Amino acid sequence: MKCYIDALEGKDKDAVAICIVCGMALCMDHVKREDVTIWEGGYPFPSEKVSKSLPRILCPECYAALKGD
Amino acid sequence: MANLTKRCLAEFIGTFFLVFMGTGAAVIALMISNGAATPNSFNIGIGALGGLGDWLAIGLAFGLAIAAAIYALGNVSGCHINPAVTIGLWSVKKFPGRDVVPYIVSQVLGASLGSFLLAGIIGMGAVTVGGLGATAPFPGIGYYQAMLAEIVGTFLLMLAIMGVAVDRRAPPGFAGIIIGLTVAGVITTVGNISGSSLNPARTFGPYLGDAVLGGHSLWVFLPIYIIGPVIGAVLAAVAYNYMTSEEKAIRD
Repeated sequence: MKCYIDALEGKDKDAVAICIVCGMALCMDHVKREDVTIWEGGYPFPSEKVSKSLPRILCPECYAALKGD
Repeated sequence: MANLTKRCLAEFIGTFFLVFMGTGAAVIALMISNGAATPNSFNIGIGALGGLGDWLAIGLAFGLAIAAAIYALGNVSGCHINPAVTIGLWSVKKFPGRDVVPYIVSQVLGASLGSFLLAGIIGMGAVTVGGLGATAPFPGIGYYQAMLAEIVGTFLLMLAIMGVAVDRRAPPGFAGIIIGLTVAGVITTVGNISGSSLNPARTFGPYLGDAVLGGHSLWVFLPIYIIGPVIGAVLAAVAYNYMTSEEKAIRD
């Protein structure tokens, strides 16, 4: 599979990941990784931050949306 | 997790709003019905205007304040805002013993502030007419009958907490509204029996306010509102654990 963003620019580059939101194939140059903090608990227990975060592989557009840009 | 000081502050604020909004509704109901003719001695004024609807309104004031507190503060402290709930969770090892006393002290202090602020805002009528919303057995209801009513009411409340919030299978997001509505429902029925405290802190605050500000002394009834809710909460927590224990063993 090839990187979608590179393909749009007429380039040919192998993809290494897929955006978990839109499914876009991405090369290492375009892939974005966001480690999402996980909380456990809530009423009637105080929330606790889980020691490990959840990795999220995203394309630049979905990453911007996640960040509210 | 927030540190103990922050969690205690959350319990203080949550219980303050519970008492201010909930007992405030009872005080207002008594003040606006003051002087109205009541149809019988069982009716002390709450019910003089809208019958059982008066109690539903008071119940909803409590319930919606509880729901708001749970959604606002549940992630910080767990938002027990009730010593009986704290002890109930501790009894089934869902809450650490070292935090029980700080939580209860915070809840009692928050409830007391709620009562004093209510009197400060409304004036002495809140004490002399409304009794700061203090709970006591209603006419014709005995000491142990009232205690039994508190046990039954708190049992249902704690059972709802166990099923809707403690159990990991419960759908997320519903705890606040369901538990608030449970309290409203219990108050609608049990209100005119024992006052439907379901919460030792909720009774202690108005008792202290009445004592300090010259209202009726009701301390003789305090054991009803400590022993009743604690027994009800512990029984419900233990019963729920028992009823779900076999399934847990299968899942494991």
